[in-house]
Amino acid sequence: MLNVYKRLWQVNWAEQWQYRANLVMYLLFWLVSPVVYLAVWTTIARSQGSVGGLTPNDFVTYYMTLLIVDQLTSEITIHIFAYKIQDGTLSGELIRPIHPMLTNTLVNNIAFKALTLMTLVPVWAVLWMLFQPDFSSVTWQGILLALPAVLLGFAVSFLIGATLTCVAFWTTRVWALVEFYWALVVLFSGQFVPLQLMPGIVQQIARFLPFQLYKYFPIELVLGRLSQSEILFGYGMGLFWLLVASLLFRWTWRNGLKQFSAVGA
Amino acid sequence: MHTLRVIQTFLKINIQTSLAYRADMVINILLNLMWLGWELLSLSIIFSNTNTLGGWGPAELIALLGVFRLVNTLMAGLLWPNTEKFNASVRDGSLDYTLLLPANSQFLVSFARITIWRAWDLILAFILIAVGIKMGGDTTSTLSILNFLMLTISGAVVIYSLWIVLIAFTFWFTKFDNNVTILQALLDSGRYPATIYPAWLRIIVTFIVPIAVATTVPLQALRGDLTGWNVLLFIGVGVASFLVASRVWKAGVRRYSGASS
Repeated sequence: MLNVYKRLWQVNWAEQWQYRANLVMYLLFWLVSPVVYLAVWTTIARSQGSVGGLTPNDFVTYYMTLLIVDQLTSEITIHIFAYKIQDGTLSGELIRPIHPMLTNTLVNNIAFKALTLMTLVPVWAVLWMLFQPDFSSVTWQGILLALPAVLLGFAVSFLIGATLTCVAFWTTRVWALVEFYWALVVLFSGQFVPLQLMPGIVQQIARFLPFQLYKYFPIELVLGRLSQSEILFGYGMGLFWLLVASLLFRWTWRNGLKQFSAVGA
Repeated sequence: MHTLRVIQTFLKINIQTSLAYRADMVINILLNLMWLGWELLSLSIIFSNTNTLGGWGPAELIALLGVFRLVNTLMAGLLWPNTEKFNASVRDGSLDYTLLLPANSQFLVSFARITIWRAWDLILAFILIAVGIKMGGDTTSTLSILNFLMLTISGAVVIYSLWIVLIAFTFWFTKFDNNVTILQALLDSGRYPATIYPAWLRIIVTFIVPIAVATTVPLQALRGDLTGWNVLLFIGVGVASFLVASRVWKAGVRRYSGASS
Protein backbone atom coordinates (compact mmCIF):
# COMPACT_ATOMS: atom_id res chain seq x y z
CA MET A 1 0.00 0.00 0.00
CA LEU A 2 2.86 2.34 0.82
CA ASN A 3 4.24 1.73 -2.65
CA VAL A 4 0.91 2.68 -4.15
CA TYR A 5 0.99 5.99 -2.33
CA LYS A 6 4.59 6.58 -3.33
CA ARG A 7 3.86 6.03 -7.00
CA LEU A 8 0.70 8.12 -6.85
CA TRP A 9 2.71 10.90 -5.26
CA GLN A 10 5.19 10.89 -8.16
CA VAL A 11 2.36 11.04 -10.70
CA ASN A 12 0.38 13.75 -8.94
CA TRP A 13 3.41 15.83 -8.09
CA ALA A 14 4.46 15.83 -11.73
CA GLU A 15 0.91 16.63 -12.78
CA GLN A 16 0.66 19.60 -10.43
CA TRP A 17 4.02 20.94 -11.63
CA GLN A 18 2.54 21.41 -15.08
CA TYR A 19 0.24 24.06 -13.72
CA ARG A 20 2.83 26.22 -11.99
CA ALA A 21 1.85 29.31 -14.02
CA ASN A 22 -1.72 29.03 -12.78
CA LEU A 23 -0.28 28.73 -9.32
CA VAL A 24 0.70 32.39 -9.17
CA MET A 25 -2.86 33.41 -10.01
CA TYR A 26 -4.22 30.96 -7.50
CA LEU A 27 -1.98 32.40 -4.84
CA LEU A 28 -3.23 35.90 -5.62
CA PHE A 29 -6.78 34.67 -5.07
CA TRP A 30 -5.70 33.20 -1.81
CA LEU A 31 -3.90 36.30 -0.68
CA VAL A 32 -6.23 39.14 -1.54
CA SER A 33 -9.13 38.56 0.81
CA PRO A 34 -7.09 37.99 4.02
CA VAL A 35 -4.97 41.05 3.24
CA VAL A 36 -8.12 43.12 2.63
CA TYR A 37 -9.66 41.98 5.92
CA LEU A 38 -6.36 42.61 7.64
CA ALA A 39 -6.38 46.18 6.31
CA VAL A 40 -9.99 46.70 7.39
CA TRP A 41 -9.50 45.53 10.94
CA THR A 42 -6.11 47.08 11.59
CA THR A 43 -7.50 50.40 10.36
CA ILE A 44 -10.33 50.19 12.89
CA ALA A 45 -8.08 48.95 15.69
CA ARG A 46 -5.56 51.72 15.04
CA SER A 47 -8.20 54.45 15.11
CA GLN A 48 -9.48 53.44 18.54
CA GLY A 49 -6.57 51.54 20.13
CA SER A 50 -8.21 48.11 20.00
CA VAL A 51 -11.33 46.25 18.86
CA GLY A 52 -12.93 43.95 21.40
CA GLY A 53 -9.56 43.69 23.17
CA LEU A 54 -7.60 42.95 19.98
CA THR A 55 -4.75 45.29 19.07
CA PRO A 56 -3.64 46.04 15.48
CA ASN A 57 -0.78 43.57 15.93
CA ASP A 58 -3.23 40.87 17.06
CA PHE A 59 -5.04 41.23 13.74
CA VAL A 60 -1.82 41.16 11.71
CA THR A 61 -0.66 37.97 13.41
CA TYR A 62 -4.14 36.44 13.07
CA TYR A 63 -4.40 36.94 9.30
CA MET A 64 -0.76 36.05 8.63
CA THR A 65 -1.24 32.78 10.49
CA LEU A 66 -4.51 32.30 8.65
CA LEU A 67 -2.70 32.36 5.31
CA ILE A 68 -0.67 29.31 6.35
CA VAL A 69 -3.36 27.42 8.25
CA ASP A 70 -5.89 27.94 5.47
CA GLN A 71 -3.41 26.57 2.97
CA LEU A 72 -2.87 23.49 5.13
CA THR A 73 -6.48 22.63 5.95
CA SER A 74 -8.12 23.39 2.60
CA GLU A 75 -8.98 20.79 -0.03
CA ILE A 76 -9.61 20.82 -3.79
CA THR A 77 -11.49 17.52 -4.10
CA ILE A 78 -14.56 19.01 -5.70
CA HIS A 79 -12.47 20.65 -8.43
CA ILE A 80 -10.59 17.49 -9.32
CA PHE A 81 -13.25 14.85 -8.80
CA ALA A 82 -16.77 16.12 -9.53
CA TYR A 83 -16.23 16.26 -13.29
CA LYS A 84 -15.08 12.65 -13.31
CA ILE A 85 -18.49 11.63 -12.01
CA GLN A 86 -20.25 13.94 -14.44
CA ASP A 87 -18.51 12.82 -17.61
CA GLY A 88 -18.03 9.20 -16.59
CA THR A 89 -14.22 9.12 -16.61
CA LEU A 90 -14.39 7.83 -13.06
CA SER A 91 -15.07 4.34 -14.39
CA GLY A 92 -11.42 4.00 -15.35
CA GLU A 93 -10.35 4.62 -11.78
CA LEU A 94 -12.97 2.32 -10.35
CA ILE A 95 -11.39 -0.70 -12.01
CA ARG A 96 -8.25 -0.25 -9.95
CA PRO A 97 -8.18 -2.25 -6.72
CA ILE A 98 -7.70 0.90 -4.61
CA HIS A 99 -10.16 3.47 -3.30
CA PRO A 100 -10.05 6.39 -5.79
CA MET A 101 -10.93 9.02 -3.24
CA LEU A 102 -8.68 7.89 -0.39
CA THR A 103 -5.64 7.28 -2.59
CA ASN A 104 -5.40 9.21 -5.84
CA THR A 105 -7.55 12.19 -4.88
CA LEU A 106 -6.05 12.48 -1.42
CA VAL A 107 -2.50 12.41 -2.80
CA ASN A 108 -3.42 14.96 -5.46
CA ASN A 109 -4.72 17.24 -2.72
CA ILE A 110 -1.48 16.90 -0.80
CA ALA A 111 0.70 17.43 -3.88
CA PHE A 112 -1.20 20.63 -4.62
CA LYS A 113 -0.79 21.72 -1.03
CA ALA A 114 2.96 21.07 -1.08
CA LEU A 115 3.38 23.13 -4.21
CA THR A 116 1.28 26.08 -3.01
CA LEU A 117 3.12 26.07 0.32
CA MET A 118 6.42 26.32 -1.52
CA THR A 119 5.12 29.38 -3.33
CA LEU A 120 3.68 30.80 -0.15
CA VAL A 121 7.05 30.90 1.65
CA PRO A 122 8.54 33.86 -0.28
CA VAL A 123 5.19 35.66 -0.32
CA TRP A 124 4.89 35.26 3.41
CA ALA A 125 8.41 36.58 3.90
CA VAL A 126 7.55 39.69 1.89
CA LEU A 127 4.37 40.21 3.92
CA TRP A 128 6.44 39.87 7.07
CA MET A 129 8.68 42.70 5.95
CA LEU A 130 5.71 44.84 4.92
CA PHE A 131 3.67 44.39 8.09
CA GLN A 132 6.45 43.84 10.66
CA PRO A 133 4.30 41.62 12.89
CA ASP A 134 5.21 40.87 16.50
CA PHE A 135 4.86 37.10 16.93
CA SER A 136 6.24 37.04 20.48
CA SER A 137 3.08 35.35 21.83
CA VAL A 138 3.87 32.24 19.75
CA THR A 139 5.59 29.45 21.65
CA TRP A 140 6.86 26.01 20.61
CA GLN A 141 4.17 24.47 22.79
CA GLY A 142 1.55 26.47 20.94
CA ILE A 143 2.78 25.27 17.55
CA LEU A 144 3.04 21.66 18.73
CA LEU A 145 -0.44 21.92 20.15
CA ALA A 146 -1.74 23.32 16.86
CA LEU A 147 -0.24 20.63 14.61
CA PRO A 148 -2.80 17.92 15.46
CA ALA A 149 -5.54 20.53 15.09
CA VAL A 150 -4.33 21.39 11.59
CA LEU A 151 -4.26 17.71 10.70
CA LEU A 152 -7.74 17.28 12.14
CA GLY A 153 -8.92 20.35 10.22
CA PHE A 154 -7.60 18.96 6.95
CA ALA A 155 -9.06 15.50 7.62
CA VAL A 156 -12.50 16.91 8.35
CA SER A 157 -12.49 19.37 5.44
CA PHE A 158 -11.24 16.67 3.08
CA LEU A 159 -13.95 14.23 4.16
CA ILE A 160 -16.72 16.83 3.99
CA GLY A 161 -15.46 18.00 0.60
CA ALA A 162 -15.42 14.38 -0.59
CA THR A 163 -18.95 13.83 0.74
CA LEU A 164 -20.25 16.89 -1.10
CA THR A 165 -18.50 15.75 -4.26
CA CYS A 166 -20.23 12.38 -3.95
CA VAL A 167 -23.59 14.13 -4.08
CA ALA A 168 -22.76 14.43 -7.79
CA PHE A 169 -23.61 10.70 -8.05
CA TRP A 170 -27.26 11.67 -7.58
CA THR A 171 -27.58 15.15 -9.00
CA THR A 172 -24.56 15.43 -11.39
CA ARG A 173 -24.62 19.16 -10.61
CA VAL A 174 -23.20 20.00 -7.21
CA TRP A 175 -21.95 23.55 -7.52
CA ALA A 176 -24.96 25.22 -5.92
CA LEU A 177 -24.64 22.99 -2.87
CA VAL A 178 -20.91 23.64 -2.73
CA GLU A 179 -21.42 27.38 -2.91
CA PHE A 180 -23.79 27.14 0.03
CA TYR A 181 -21.16 25.17 1.93
CA TRP A 182 -18.55 27.85 1.15
CA ALA A 183 -20.87 30.49 2.56
CA LEU A 184 -21.14 28.51 5.79
CA VAL A 185 -17.35 28.25 5.92
CA VAL A 186 -16.97 32.00 5.43
CA LEU A 187 -19.49 32.67 8.19
CA PHE A 188 -18.35 30.17 10.81
CA SER A 189 -14.64 29.52 10.24
CA GLY A 190 -13.20 32.86 11.33
CA GLN A 191 -12.08 33.85 7.84
CA PHE A 192 -13.59 37.32 7.88
CA VAL A 193 -12.73 38.20 11.44
CA PRO A 194 -11.56 36.37 14.58
CA LEU A 195 -14.72 34.65 15.82
CA GLN A 196 -14.81 36.57 19.11
CA LEU A 197 -15.87 39.68 17.16
CA MET A 198 -18.81 37.91 15.51
CA PRO A 199 -22.34 38.40 16.92
CA GLY A 200 -22.87 36.25 20.04
CA ILE A 201 -25.26 33.85 18.35
CA VAL A 202 -22.82 33.15 15.50
CA GLN A 203 -20.08 32.42 18.04
CA GLN A 204 -22.31 30.02 19.95
CA ILE A 205 -23.22 28.11 16.79
CA ALA A 206 -19.64 28.16 15.48
CA ARG A 207 -18.38 26.36 18.58
CA PHE A 208 -20.41 23.30 17.69
CA LEU A 209 -19.70 23.28 13.94
CA PRO A 210 -16.71 21.74 12.16
CA PHE A 211 -15.77 24.92 10.26
CA GLN A 212 -13.74 26.62 12.97
CA LEU A 213 -11.36 23.65 12.75
CA TYR A 214 -10.37 24.92 9.28
CA LYS A 215 -9.11 28.25 10.49
CA TYR A 216 -10.00 29.81 13.83
CA PHE A 217 -9.15 26.94 16.18
CA PRO A 218 -5.65 26.13 14.84
CA ILE A 219 -4.80 29.83 14.44
CA GLU A 220 -5.73 30.65 18.02
CA LEU A 221 -3.76 27.61 19.20
CA VAL A 222 -0.65 28.84 17.39
CA LEU A 223 -1.09 32.32 18.82
CA GLY A 224 -1.64 30.90 22.32
CA ARG A 225 -4.92 32.73 22.91
CA LEU A 226 -7.06 29.82 24.11
CA SER A 227 -7.67 28.65 27.67
CA GLN A 228 -7.21 25.02 28.63
CA SER A 229 -10.93 24.28 28.69
CA GLU A 230 -11.38 25.87 25.27
CA ILE A 231 -8.58 23.72 23.87
CA LEU A 232 -10.11 20.54 25.29
CA PHE A 233 -13.55 21.46 23.99
CA GLY A 234 -12.14 22.30 20.54
CA TYR A 235 -10.33 19.00 20.25
CA GLY A 236 -13.37 17.12 21.51
CA MET A 237 -15.52 18.77 18.85
CA GLY A 238 -12.84 18.07 16.26
CA LEU A 239 -12.78 14.35 17.02
CA PHE A 240 -16.56 14.24 17.04
CA TRP A 241 -16.73 15.85 13.57
CA LEU A 242 -13.99 13.56 12.27
CA LEU A 243 -16.21 10.61 13.21
CA VAL A 244 -19.33 12.20 11.71
CA ALA A 245 -17.53 13.19 8.51
CA SER A 246 -16.04 9.70 8.07
CA LEU A 247 -19.44 8.07 8.49
CA LEU A 248 -21.07 10.55 6.11
CA PHE A 249 -18.41 9.96 3.51
CA ARG A 250 -18.63 6.16 3.84
CA TRP A 251 -22.37 6.28 3.38
CA THR A 252 -22.46 8.67 0.40
CA TRP A 253 -19.61 6.87 -1.33
CA ARG A 254 -21.15 3.41 -1.02
CA ASN A 255 -24.66 4.43 -1.96
CA GLY A 256 -23.50 6.93 -4.56
CA LEU A 257 -21.44 4.33 -6.35
CA LYS A 258 -24.55 2.23 -6.79
CA GLN A 259 -26.14 5.17 -8.61
CA PHE A 260 -23.15 5.62 -10.87
CA SER A 261 -23.86 4.64 -14.44
CA ALA A 262 -20.72 5.99 -16.13
CA VAL A 263 -22.44 8.57 -18.27
CA GLY A 264 -20.87 8.84 -21.66
CA ALA A 265 -18.11 6.33 -21.04
CA MET B 1 -29.00 51.46 -35.47
CA HIS B 2 -27.17 48.47 -36.84
CA THR B 3 -25.34 47.98 -33.53
CA LEU B 4 -28.60 48.17 -31.59
CA ARG B 5 -30.14 45.45 -33.71
CA VAL B 6 -27.13 43.20 -33.16
CA ILE B 7 -27.37 43.72 -29.38
CA GLN B 8 -31.05 42.94 -29.55
CA THR B 9 -30.35 39.68 -31.35
CA PHE B 10 -27.62 38.73 -28.88
CA LEU B 11 -30.00 39.36 -25.99
CA LYS B 12 -32.70 37.26 -27.63
CA ILE B 13 -30.35 34.34 -28.21
CA ASN B 14 -29.03 34.50 -24.66
CA ILE B 15 -32.50 34.69 -23.14
CA GLN B 16 -33.56 31.67 -25.16
CA THR B 17 -30.54 29.63 -24.06
CA SER B 18 -30.95 30.57 -20.42
CA LEU B 19 -34.66 29.74 -20.43
CA ALA B 20 -33.67 26.14 -20.92
CA TYR B 21 -32.16 26.20 -17.43
CA ARG B 22 -34.88 27.86 -15.38
CA ALA B 23 -34.19 25.94 -12.17
CA ASP B 24 -30.54 26.98 -12.38
CA MET B 25 -31.61 30.59 -12.65
CA VAL B 26 -33.73 30.40 -9.50
CA ILE B 27 -30.94 28.69 -7.55
CA ASN B 28 -28.40 31.25 -8.74
CA ILE B 29 -30.61 34.13 -7.64
CA LEU B 30 -31.13 32.52 -4.23
CA LEU B 31 -27.38 32.02 -3.80
CA ASN B 32 -26.85 35.60 -4.85
CA LEU B 33 -29.27 36.78 -2.18
CA MET B 34 -27.44 34.64 0.36
CA TRP B 35 -24.16 36.38 -0.47
CA LEU B 36 -25.86 39.75 -0.24
CA GLY B 37 -27.04 38.78 3.25
CA TRP B 38 -23.47 37.89 4.16
CA GLU B 39 -22.12 41.16 2.77
CA LEU B 40 -24.61 43.19 4.77
CA LEU B 41 -23.89 41.15 7.88
CA SER B 42 -20.16 41.76 7.50
CA LEU B 43 -20.80 45.51 7.22
CA SER B 44 -22.96 45.41 10.33
CA ILE B 45 -20.20 43.52 12.18
CA ILE B 46 -17.70 46.18 11.17
CA PHE B 47 -19.94 49.04 12.26
CA SER B 48 -20.95 47.42 15.52
CA ASN B 49 -17.27 47.72 16.43
CA THR B 50 -16.61 51.22 15.12
CA ASN B 51 -18.30 54.37 13.79
CA THR B 52 -16.01 54.89 10.88
CA LEU B 53 -13.76 52.77 8.73
CA GLY B 54 -10.87 55.10 8.02
CA GLY B 55 -13.27 58.03 7.63
CA TRP B 56 -15.95 56.10 5.73
CA GLY B 57 -19.42 55.61 7.24
CA PRO B 58 -22.02 52.85 6.77
CA ALA B 59 -23.97 54.77 4.09
CA GLU B 60 -20.87 55.16 1.98
CA LEU B 61 -19.90 51.52 2.35
CA ILE B 62 -23.37 50.41 1.25
CA ALA B 63 -23.10 52.59 -1.85
CA LEU B 64 -19.61 51.16 -2.39
CA LEU B 65 -21.02 47.65 -2.12
CA GLY B 66 -23.50 48.63 -4.84
CA VAL B 67 -20.72 49.86 -7.13
CA PHE B 68 -18.67 46.77 -6.34
CA ARG B 69 -21.61 44.58 -7.33
CA LEU B 70 -21.96 46.56 -10.54
CA VAL B 71 -18.35 45.79 -11.46
CA ASN B 72 -18.84 42.20 -10.35
CA THR B 73 -21.89 41.89 -12.60
CA LEU B 74 -19.97 43.35 -15.51
CA MET B 75 -17.34 40.67 -15.01
CA ALA B 76 -19.50 37.68 -14.17
CA GLY B 77 -22.33 38.49 -16.56
CA LEU B 78 -20.35 39.64 -19.57
CA LEU B 79 -16.58 39.37 -19.39
CA TRP B 80 -16.11 35.81 -18.06
CA PRO B 81 -18.60 34.08 -20.38
CA ASN B 82 -17.17 35.96 -23.37
CA THR B 83 -13.61 35.15 -22.34
CA GLU B 84 -14.49 31.49 -22.31
CA LYS B 85 -16.01 31.70 -25.77
CA PHE B 86 -13.15 33.78 -27.10
CA ASN B 87 -10.41 31.48 -25.79
CA ALA B 88 -12.17 28.47 -27.25
CA SER B 89 -12.63 30.22 -30.59
CA VAL B 90 -8.94 31.10 -30.83
CA ARG B 91 -7.98 27.54 -30.03
CA ASP B 92 -10.28 25.89 -32.59
CA GLY B 93 -10.12 28.64 -35.21
CA SER B 94 -13.82 29.52 -35.14
CA LEU B 95 -12.83 33.13 -34.50
CA ASP B 96 -12.44 33.29 -38.31
CA TYR B 97 -16.22 33.37 -38.65
CA THR B 98 -16.58 36.18 -36.13
CA LEU B 99 -13.98 38.25 -37.98
CA LEU B 100 -15.71 37.68 -41.30
CA LEU B 101 -19.00 39.18 -40.07
CA PRO B 102 -19.72 42.72 -41.28
CA ALA B 103 -19.57 44.27 -37.81
CA ASN B 104 -16.94 45.52 -35.40
CA SER B 105 -15.12 42.42 -34.18
CA GLN B 106 -14.32 43.88 -30.76
CA PHE B 107 -18.01 44.53 -30.27
CA LEU B 108 -18.99 41.02 -31.35
CA VAL B 109 -16.43 39.40 -29.07
CA SER B 110 -17.60 41.51 -26.11
CA PHE B 111 -21.32 40.89 -26.29
CA ALA B 112 -21.82 37.45 -27.81
CA ARG B 113 -22.56 35.88 -24.46
CA ILE B 114 -24.61 37.50 -21.72
CA THR B 115 -25.57 35.75 -18.50
CA ILE B 116 -29.19 36.82 -18.36
CA TRP B 117 -30.01 36.18 -14.72
CA ARG B 118 -27.30 38.67 -13.75
CA ALA B 119 -29.77 41.41 -14.70
CA TRP B 120 -31.16 40.72 -11.26
CA ASP B 121 -27.77 41.49 -9.79
CA LEU B 122 -27.76 44.78 -11.66
CA ILE B 123 -31.08 45.76 -10.06
CA LEU B 124 -29.75 44.89 -6.61
CA ALA B 125 -26.66 46.98 -7.24
CA PHE B 126 -28.76 50.00 -8.19
CA ILE B 127 -30.92 49.56 -5.09
CA LEU B 128 -27.82 49.42 -2.88
CA ILE B 129 -26.42 52.57 -4.49
CA ALA B 130 -29.74 54.40 -4.09
CA VAL B 131 -30.06 53.33 -0.45
CA GLY B 132 -26.48 54.39 0.23
CA ILE B 133 -26.99 57.82 -1.31
CA LYS B 134 -30.30 58.27 0.53
CA MET B 135 -28.72 57.27 3.87
CA GLY B 136 -26.00 59.84 3.22
CA GLY B 137 -28.73 62.49 3.33
CA ASP B 138 -28.15 66.17 2.70
CA THR B 139 -24.38 65.94 2.54
CA THR B 140 -24.52 64.80 -1.08
CA SER B 141 -25.13 67.47 -3.70
CA THR B 142 -26.59 66.93 -7.16
CA LEU B 143 -23.21 67.70 -8.67
CA SER B 144 -21.46 65.01 -6.64
CA ILE B 145 -24.12 62.47 -7.63
CA LEU B 146 -23.57 63.42 -11.26
CA ASN B 147 -19.79 63.09 -10.85
CA PHE B 148 -20.33 59.76 -9.15
CA LEU B 149 -22.40 58.42 -12.04
CA MET B 150 -19.91 59.57 -14.66
CA LEU B 151 -16.96 58.08 -12.80
CA THR B 152 -18.84 54.82 -12.27
CA ILE B 153 -19.27 54.54 -16.03
CA SER B 154 -15.69 55.54 -16.79
CA GLY B 155 -14.42 53.09 -14.16
CA ALA B 156 -16.38 50.28 -15.79
CA VAL B 157 -14.90 51.32 -19.15
CA VAL B 158 -11.39 51.13 -17.68
CA ILE B 159 -12.01 47.58 -16.46
CA TYR B 160 -13.55 46.62 -19.79
CA SER B 161 -10.58 48.09 -21.67
CA LEU B 162 -8.09 46.21 -19.56
CA TRP B 163 -10.05 43.07 -20.31
CA ILE B 164 -9.92 43.72 -24.07
CA VAL B 165 -6.15 44.21 -23.85
CA LEU B 166 -5.73 41.02 -21.82
CA ILE B 167 -7.70 38.86 -24.22
CA ALA B 168 -6.04 40.52 -27.23
CA PHE B 169 -2.70 39.34 -25.83
CA THR B 170 -3.80 35.86 -26.84
CA PHE B 171 -3.05 36.88 -30.45
CA TRP B 172 0.60 37.30 -29.54
CA PHE B 173 0.98 34.64 -26.86
CA THR B 174 -1.28 31.71 -27.66
CA LYS B 175 -0.65 30.04 -24.32
CA PHE B 176 -1.93 33.08 -22.49
CA ASP B 177 -5.35 31.65 -21.82
CA ASN B 178 -5.71 32.24 -18.11
CA ASN B 179 -5.25 35.87 -19.04
CA VAL B 180 -8.16 37.36 -17.14
CA THR B 181 -7.68 35.54 -13.85
CA ILE B 182 -5.70 38.48 -12.52
CA LEU B 183 -8.79 40.67 -12.75
CA GLN B 184 -10.81 38.06 -10.92
CA ALA B 185 -8.18 37.54 -8.24
CA LEU B 186 -8.00 41.19 -7.27
CA LEU B 187 -11.72 41.84 -7.54
CA ASP B 188 -12.36 41.26 -3.83
CA SER B 189 -10.29 44.32 -3.04
CA GLY B 190 -13.15 46.44 -4.43
CA ARG B 191 -15.40 45.70 -1.48
CA TYR B 192 -13.68 48.21 0.78
CA PRO B 193 -12.28 51.69 0.19
CA ALA B 194 -8.76 51.43 -1.22
CA THR B 195 -7.72 54.38 0.94
CA ILE B 196 -7.43 52.05 3.95
CA TYR B 197 -5.11 49.58 2.21
CA PRO B 198 -1.36 49.48 2.76
CA ALA B 199 0.44 51.59 0.13
CA TRP B 200 1.69 48.67 -1.99
CA LEU B 201 -1.78 47.15 -2.33
CA ARG B 202 -3.26 50.56 -3.08
CA ILE B 203 -0.74 51.04 -5.87
CA ILE B 204 -1.53 47.62 -7.35
CA VAL B 205 -5.31 48.10 -7.36
CA THR B 206 -5.05 51.67 -8.68
CA PHE B 207 -2.38 51.55 -11.35
CA ILE B 208 -1.77 47.91 -12.29
CA VAL B 209 -5.17 46.26 -11.99
CA PRO B 210 -7.40 49.32 -11.55
CA ILE B 211 -10.21 47.76 -9.52
CA ALA B 212 -10.12 50.77 -7.21
CA VAL B 213 -10.60 53.18 -10.13
CA ALA B 214 -13.95 51.50 -10.76
CA THR B 215 -15.04 51.20 -7.12
CA THR B 216 -13.34 53.57 -4.69
CA VAL B 217 -12.89 56.53 -7.03
CA PRO B 218 -16.61 56.98 -7.92
CA LEU B 219 -17.40 56.85 -4.20
CA GLN B 220 -14.79 59.50 -3.52
CA ALA B 221 -16.58 61.69 -6.04
CA LEU B 222 -19.84 61.08 -4.22
CA ARG B 223 -18.24 62.07 -0.91
CA GLY B 224 -16.89 65.22 -2.52
CA ASP B 225 -13.26 64.18 -1.99
CA LEU B 226 -12.34 64.91 -5.59
CA THR B 227 -11.79 68.28 -7.21
CA GLY B 228 -13.36 69.10 -10.57
CA TRP B 229 -9.99 68.54 -12.23
CA ASN B 230 -9.71 65.11 -10.66
CA VAL B 231 -13.11 64.15 -12.01
CA LEU B 232 -12.13 65.30 -15.49
CA LEU B 233 -8.85 63.43 -15.19
CA PHE B 234 -10.57 60.14 -14.37
CA ILE B 235 -13.08 60.62 -17.20
CA GLY B 236 -10.08 61.24 -19.45
CA VAL B 237 -8.48 58.03 -18.21
CA GLY B 238 -11.66 56.15 -19.13
CA VAL B 239 -11.74 57.56 -22.65
CA ALA B 240 -8.01 57.07 -23.18
CA SER B 241 -8.03 53.48 -21.99
CA PHE B 242 -10.90 52.67 -24.33
CA LEU B 243 -9.02 54.15 -27.29
CA VAL B 244 -5.82 52.31 -26.41
CA ALA B 245 -7.73 49.05 -25.99
CA SER B 246 -9.36 49.39 -29.41
CA ARG B 247 -5.96 50.03 -30.99
CA VAL B 248 -4.46 46.99 -29.27
CA TRP B 249 -7.41 44.88 -30.34
CA LYS B 250 -7.07 45.96 -33.98
CA ALA B 251 -3.34 45.29 -33.96
CA GLY B 252 -4.05 41.86 -32.47
CA VAL B 253 -6.63 40.99 -35.09
CA ARG B 254 -4.16 41.92 -37.81
CA ARG B 255 -1.70 39.46 -36.31
CA TYR B 256 -4.23 36.66 -36.04
CA SER B 257 -3.65 33.96 -38.60
CA GLY B 258 -6.29 31.37 -37.72
CA ALA B 259 -5.75 28.09 -35.93
CA SER B 260 -7.01 25.58 -38.44
CA SER B 261 -6.25 27.23 -41.76
